[in-house]
Amino acid sequence: MQKLTSLLVLFVCFGMQAFAQQTVTGKVSSDSSGAPLEGVTVSLKEGKAVTLTTKDGSFRINVPENATLVFSYIGYSNKEVPVNGQTFVQVQLQNGTQNLQDVVVIGYGTQKKSNVTGSIATISSSAYKDQPVVNVSSALQGRASGVSVNSASGAPGGVVKIRIRGANSINSSNDPLFVVDGVALGSVSFQDINVNDIESMEVLKDASATAIYGSRGANGVIIITTKSGKAGKMVLNANGFVTASGIKKYDLLGPVAYAEQANYIAGTDVLPNPQSYAGKGTDWQDQVFRTGYTQNYQLSLAGGTEKSRYYISGYYVNQSGIVVNTNQQKIALRSNIDSKLSKKVSIGLNMFLTNIQSKNNGDLGSKASPVTSSLTWAPTEPVYDDQAAGAYNRYAISPIGPNPYMIAKESDNEGKSNTAVVNAKLKWDITDWLSFNTNVGVDANFYRSGYVNNAWINQSSQSSGQGYSDNYTLQNSNVLTYHQTFNGVHNLSVTGAYEQTSNKYSGFNADGGGLTSLSYGYYALQLNASQGIRSFYSNWSLQSYLGRATYSYKDKYLLMATYRGDGSSKFQSTSNKWAYFPSFSAGWKISGENFMKDIDAISNLKLRGSWGKTGNQAIAPYSTLGLLTGQQYSYGSSTAYQGYSLGNPPNPNLKWETTTQWDIGLDAGFLNGRLNLTMDYFNKLTDGLLLQKTIPSYDGGGSQWVNLGSVSNKGFEFSISALAVSSRKFSWNTMLNISTLTNKVKSIGDQDIVYVGYPGAGLINTSVQVVKPGSPLGAFYLIPWEGVYKQADATLGFQPGDNKYKDVDGNGSIGYEDRVVIGNPIPKLQFGFNNDFTYGNFTLNLFLQGVQGNKIFNATYAAVAAPTSDIKYPTLAASANYWTKTNTGSEWANPASKTGRSYVESTHYLQDGSYVRLKNISLSYLLSKKIIGFGDISLSVSAQNLFTITKYKGFDPEADTQGNTDIAAGIDLGAYPNPRSFTIGINANF
Amino acid sequence: MKKYLMICMVCIVIASCSKNLLNEEPKVPTGTQFYKNANDLSLASTGLYALINVAFNQMAGFATCYGGDDVTVKRTGNKYSFSDFDTFQPNSSNDRMTNWWSSFYATIKSCNSMILNYANASATEDEKNHAAGQAYFLRALSYFFLTRTWGAIPLVKDNIVDYNIAKSDPSDVYALIVSDLQNAEKMLPDSWNGLGSQFQSGVNVAATSGSAKALLANVYLTMAGWPLKQADKYALAAAKAKEVMDNKAKYNIDLLSDFRNLWKKEFKYNNEAVFGCYYNPNVPNAAWNQWNMSGPNSTQPGDEGGWDDFFGEINFYNNFPAGSRKDGTYQSVYFVNGAATDWTHTALKHPYFQKYLDDDSYNKTTHVGNWAGSHTVFVVRYAETLLTYAEAKAASSSPDATAYAAINAVRNRAGLPDLTPGLSQAAFRDSVIAERGWEFAGLEPAARWFDLLRTETVAKANANRNAAEDPLVGKPDDNAHTFYWAPIPINDKQLNPNL
Repeated sequence: MQKLTSLLVLFVCFGMQAFAQQTVTGKVSSDSSGAPLEGVTVSLKEGKAVTLTTKDGSFRINVPENATLVFSYIGYSNKEVPVNGQTFVQVQLQNGTQNLQDVVVIGYGTQKKSNVTGSIATISSSAYKDQPVVNVSSALQGRASGVSVNSASGAPGGVVKIRIRGANSINSSNDPLFVVDGVALGSVSFQDINVNDIESMEVLKDASATAIYGSRGANGVIIITTKSGKAGKMVLNANGFVTASGIKKYDLLGPVAYAEQANYIAGTDVLPNPQSYAGKGTDWQDQVFRTGYTQNYQLSLAGGTEKSRYYISGYYVNQSGIVVNTNQQKIALRSNIDSKLSKKVSIGLNMFLTNIQSKNNGDLGSKASPVTSSLTWAPTEPVYDDQAAGAYNRYAISPIGPNPYMIAKESDNEGKSNTAVVNAKLKWDITDWLSFNTNVGVDANFYRSGYVNNAWINQSSQSSGQGYSDNYTLQNSNVLTYHQTFNGVHNLSVTGAYEQTSNKYSGFNADGGGLTSLSYGYYALQLNASQGIRSFYSNWSLQSYLGRATYSYKDKYLLMATYRGDGSSKFQSTSNKWAYFPSFSAGWKISGENFMKDIDAISNLKLRGSWGKTGNQAIAPYSTLGLLTGQQYSYGSSTAYQGYSLGNPPNPNLKWETTTQWDIGLDAGFLNGRLNLTMDYFNKLTDGLLLQKTIPSYDGGGSQWVNLGSVSNKGFEFSISALAVSSRKFSWNTMLNISTLTNKVKSIGDQDIVYVGYPGAGLINTSVQVVKPGSPLGAFYLIPWEGVYKQADATLGFQPGDNKYKDVDGNGSIGYEDRVVIGNPIPKLQFGFNNDFTYGNFTLNLFLQGVQGNKIFNATYAAVAAPTSDIKYPTLAASANYWTKTNTGSEWANPASKTGRSYVESTHYLQDGSYVRLKNISLSYLLSKKIIGFGDISLSVSAQNLFTITKYKGFDPEADTQGNTDIAAGIDLGAYPNPRSFTIGINANF
Repeated sequence: MKKYLMICMVCIVIASCSKNLLNEEPKVPTGTQFYKNANDLSLASTGLYALINVAFNQMAGFATCYGGDDVTVKRTGNKYSFSDFDTFQPNSSNDRMTNWWSSFYATIKSCNSMILNYANASATEDEKNHAAGQAYFLRALSYFFLTRTWGAIPLVKDNIVDYNIAKSDPSDVYALIVSDLQNAEKMLPDSWNGLGSQFQSGVNVAATSGSAKALLANVYLTMAGWPLKQADKYALAAAKAKEVMDNKAKYNIDLLSDFRNLWKKEFKYNNEAVFGCYYNPNVPNAAWNQWNMSGPNSTQPGDEGGWDDFFGEINFYNNFPAGSRKDGTYQSVYFVNGAATDWTHTALKHPYFQKYLDDDSYNKTTHVGNWAGSHTVFVVRYAETLLTYAEAKAASSSPDATAYAAINAVRNRAGLPDLTPGLSQAAFRDSVIAERGWEFAGLEPAARWFDLLRTETVAKANANRNAAEDPLVGKPDDNAHTFYWAPIPINDKQLNPNL
């Protein structure tokens, strides 16, 4: 192995010009532990010579005079050491969390990090190695400025909302594009990717970085590069951890207090003798929620030779949810193989397969879900009518939803998902300056679902059903790259590519009614007395041409331009289908200038700016065609006959939405890379928004897609990382990122206001959010609540003790016409603060994350506190402190008032959503190879979401019922909370 | 090697450049390619019933009828929006009445589409007429409810979205209703027997020519009253009702012999239904339009696990003549804390309606119901046709033998003796109105409220309100017609300033 390397070096040197050559040897070790480092890349800064260190950290390289050696190794900061006539060089490398790699993956290629002119944040796997991450979103949260990750549901595999620099679109998707090893995910969720397989993630934020992805780049791009093997000894990594999770409860009334209040509200003894409930009754939260356990085991093998390298990994996750009778299991296998066929041609094949089995894992945001019902059900009600016989107490005096424990325990909804992400690539170095890359990728998802509804779930008719769907996205990209250096100072790179993507999603459902036997689960659908089937199909495709040119002068003055043309199947007529996206960016490496060379403290300073256009076509296929709505009518019989009614009107003129973004940024490094700073200011304007314009009820309701209006997102991003303290025994590494966002709707065409759809009809009865020029997207629209009347109000007809609302339009009555824009669901500021402390073999990680400046409409709180909902009598403990003639200072109105009104759609339930959360605190101990002999083992104990500082009165300020939307973001209606967890883990490296 | 690779590459690229790559191919019908053949027409007709079902499968829309003296509610909890109409203080933010406003207009939208496009289908004359006839009928039915509730409303006859449309006067709306029903009675079959799923258990589930005539008779009778007050319509109403009565065998309709049977679940399909909405929540994957929430839960007292959505006004109950009809209308036995008792011992001390209780979803042992029921909603009953005939004949000529025969048929069926013979025109008319009130008490679609409106007796009827009821806040006036019409829903007012 070493011989080959030396031979290679010799040949290379032979080809170079005849300068005085010398052989330099040396040893590389880790600065913190003193251990020798094997596999460190030692290269010549000014040339092509390169070698690797051996097992004991030693190397040998031939270099010209006045050469500089560059040492780089994953997990450590790069180091440059001028030879200065030495023949033996001793080098210590320090742990570093940033600037690990020389190259950054940008769309369709790579670029030297120091030459990047766009706004790109890199997250390497070492950034979160001390945190037990289960999925990609946990790895991203709080690690890159401008990236907001909102875990909208704590369900195993629940919805996560990721936004880069705010939300542009009103009705079309704001999800960023995920590209895994060059394949843009179309059918598979990024959450299915094994986070342990990820080497690094690049977040492309500004137009110059994302314009190359044109059509789908408007919301930002996250490029994931999975691990590959390295030539040399095989590395085996085994990883396991166990987590226990639980939630914080709402403070609710006990049975006696509840009964007393119910009698007071009804004016009669609906629950006679309240004292008789003392010591009895049910704590529904205790019934429905439990401690959830997760086990996560992972094994990976990496290695290879100079010619072929491999990385193989497998993992198993078993997660039981915090709601009873919910769980999820995942098994995955990955195989990444790279091979050099010849000097010029290399191939790669990456395969990833995973099987996910879930039970009762649906997101539960609704007013009748077990999560909401556990809060609204009367504590005076027992769980069972007859516990011995297993007969549940089906309905209580209160809400419309059935017994939550019964629903949670008796539900049987299973999903089996099989996902495959496969990509094959071929790279051909045609000449020194021309190379060709082709990549064919498929991501596919095969999903099977089955359910059985027994008599407890559906009182009059048991039923079962199955569903099946498959979803394929096929992508082929062909890239030609030209790279040439002229006169040693002009560096030019030109890339051209053609790409094609197509997706097909189809499936069917078979549903039954009147199931005669439960013995076979959902495997005997034919036992249903009545049967119905339906199927669905959709497809979309994309065709693209793109090009990029990068130029640098003396490595100091940098220019880049990109251009992409995309055609989408979702719009009609050629002129609407095609759109074009250019971008330009420039950079100035100030630190490369002569006047900066003497300032040792500043190791890197770069000023950059960019401008570009990207587009969005993320609406459902066929949206412009005016599809009919399927209806079924039984004529009262047991057969459901198919019918169709008119759907939304078509719009053949609909086209792309475009976002124009400019960005100005500064990258600075101090003290030889020990302190790094990045600052950006961005300004995005999205035009021709794809908007669903509401149609009045008298024209049949519904909505129509139009291109109307514009939204702007502006903000600052600031990120600082530093090795604050570094001594032999103790080191402290810290990373802070902060970003601000001002989101504003600039116009919605000729309309003044667009009303947003709302959940929980029956509890919420009109829109509580609007899209209005001058306000942020999805601004809350509520009746102002001003507390409780102390004196009677003759004009409006209210008595003391009634809720006081503002009669905004002065018409003498309180109603929905008094709603005003108030409150913003989008945080103005978000931050992530990660700290790693190392003392000897101990490492302590503290990761804080938070948002500030947003509001949440807590519909769950309204459901438990307001007697106007579908829930008759309030269960919230605080509501027992209602106004009476002797208790006039209360904020809760007199619930028995005949003159009073209570509007759920008021600011009474608008709460502050800001929070600071200790996302992770972990302590780990490293038993190094020196002690054990066969490998490094680290043991860790940690806690996630340990404590949260917030004024929010709900379960979790992060949870959001609407999951992934932005105009309807910020409503909490039975949103599944993110639990607090404790984890112990073990990680071994051989 | 190089050459072969190059060729392979180029081939891949060319093969993948297909011209049709960017064309969408939905595999479901779109609006522009529908109504082409008989199958399309049939699918479209089925869709119409799915839409109108949603208007009647809950009590929400009926909130606008709580001003009648037969029904009331307690002003507490989530019943404020119902109570607002009961106590005459509704506002345009009322969240219950929107159910009728949006469901009827949604039906009108699809009816308009059918009416504008059916003529081009390649199908037989009968198939085309049957489909269009159903669209005309349902459009007329929808506008009939809309204009009686809201008065001047947007008159929409096409599918063009118009954010500036002005309201039309009731006279224009009624003109369309009449012309639609005249089309419907010609185009619909007399009976669907043998034509398909529209005939179930000997009953016409879909609209027939008889349904159109019966509804037209009711429309004429309403036009003779407030607001149009076109007295010439009485004769037309009587004639139309007579056409239905004379041909009832052809249309498979007749009075049931026992009033109580109308409300029993075995009689879900019965021949007194001239037109009804049918439900079955147990079909596979049943959507909301298949469920009937106007069932046990909604109408039972809270003591029995119900929602107290509405119950009978005390004075109306006390003045209701005893007999099999009263037994079938009101609940007689109540279970409070497990013990059988009468209505004076319920928590809210009011009599509750029996009409909605017998349903598959109602458990007779525990006296508790599930809110997803399959109760049929009788939009037009044959009893109403008889009473319409009686009133219209008396008003257009005189209360002759045929008029008396009609009202007596209903009275005898209800367990009451014949009406006093030899009454004056005014007294006879008052008797018919009273009879209607007792026949349709408790928020049937032939609601008492609509009778009070057309006879301009809202204030008069509410003057007799028992002191135990929630007090009235607004004061209706039979001369100024205040509180006669509901306020236009705010969501549409904010989209269209002309409303």
